[in-house]
Amino acid sequence: MNRLRVLALCALCAAPPAQAQLNLNRLLESASNIGKAAQEIGEKEEIEIGRDMAARLLGAAPLMANDGVQRYVNNVGRWLASQTERPDLPWRFGVLEAPQLNAFATPGGHIFITRGLLERMKSEAELAGVLAHEIAHVLKKHHLKAIQKGAQMELAGTAVSMLARQDRSTGNREKLLAAGTELFSRGLDKSDELDADRLGVVIAARGGYDAYGLPSVLQTLQAMNPQDSGVALMFKTHPAPGERLDALERMQPTLDAHAAQPQLGERFAANARAKR
Amino acid sequence: MRLALLLLLAPALCLAEPATVMRATELKQQPASDAASVATLAENAKVDALERKGGWTRVRAEGGAEGWVRMLALRYAGTGEAKQGDAGISQVLNVARTGTSGAQVTTGVRGLDAEQLANARPNPAELRKMESYSASRDGADGFAAKGKLSAQRVDYPREEGR
Repeated sequence: MNRLRVLALCALCAAPPAQAQLNLNRLLESASNIGKAAQEIGEKEEIEIGRDMAARLLGAAPLMANDGVQRYVNNVGRWLASQTERPDLPWRFGVLEAPQLNAFATPGGHIFITRGLLERMKSEAELAGVLAHEIAHVLKKHHLKAIQKGAQMELAGTAVSMLARQDRSTGNREKLLAAGTELFSRGLDKSDELDADRLGVVIAARGGYDAYGLPSVLQTLQAMNPQDSGVALMFKTHPAPGERLDALERMQPTLDAHAAQPQLGERFAANARAKR
Repeated sequence: MRLALLLLLAPALCLAEPATVMRATELKQQPASDAASVATLAENAKVDALERKGGWTRVRAEGGAEGWVRMLALRYAGTGEAKQGDAGISQVLNVARTGTSGAQVTTGVRGLDAEQLANARPNPAELRKMESYSASRDGADGFAAKGKLSAQRVDYPREEGR
């Protein structure tokens, strides 16, 4: 019995300790890489990651084929971005040819809204509210932070540390891209979404819009059947619209102070609904 | 063509949308908190939402009284009752499929579910196209001025617990 135990212990001691040591070293090394990566992703890399993610998104759905609508959305978005703390990022906006209702941001300033969501909107203030929410994700680097957080998984961990070392081989970019695009279908933290709602209200108000544009879109979404395939992905990746509206009650003073600003319903109807 | 169809199929969300008030609320004659009250609505009272003005929504109460309540006090049905299953998207999909020949368009139309996103290949040409539509800072300033939008100073909310 005792001998058996000793034997078993020896068996445990013989090979595994070296390996355990190795694993621990690797773990420490990768943890320090992640820490470094978190500090070392500069603006240039941020923009590169974002462009890669944007190209992937455009591979899933192309742009809506309407120059006028695309330019209109870029004007609204660019104006809003100019009111933020990062006015000089290469801000780009696009309407995706997809009937689903959704909006996306990628690091560094590429922002998307689907045709399906655009068609449910009633004014430029509503469009501004949604774009401002996405702009807030970019300002606060929510996606970058999520990629870094996900870096505890080996896939992204390698990707992020490679990026930090300025390694540009195709394979590594692919890995990073995988980690980033996974966020499109997995979503960000709930707290980041609620944060982006509050900041979005402020950014739209700064742009001179009726600040109730975003809450108004949330009410439109809340009125939809959550089983509707058009909102399935968005509802999976965001807190429920009712919960987001509850959370925005905190913003009532800001909302009310800027409720009388223009909604621009007519300009929206003339530009966002433009035929080819 | 497809756009026009979509617009036809989309339910008119702005007209008489059934809603409930989340808490006991005064029905106001005007969209302002110091306006006279028309009636008091009980918690969970059913109303029809008619139009929005700033932070206020005009509603018709069950008894027929009309007035304004805080828009954030309203919640819409959203549970599927009294609503069609799929907002017409499946019908539109069929239209899009029969109306086009290439597989690419079909992919584009149904492209934004989780599976499609996971399997998407990068489209650099489309990215360049997107970047060609960008507005300059000055251009956007002019666009804002045309809409009589003027930049406001507004602070971010203070972050709690950090």
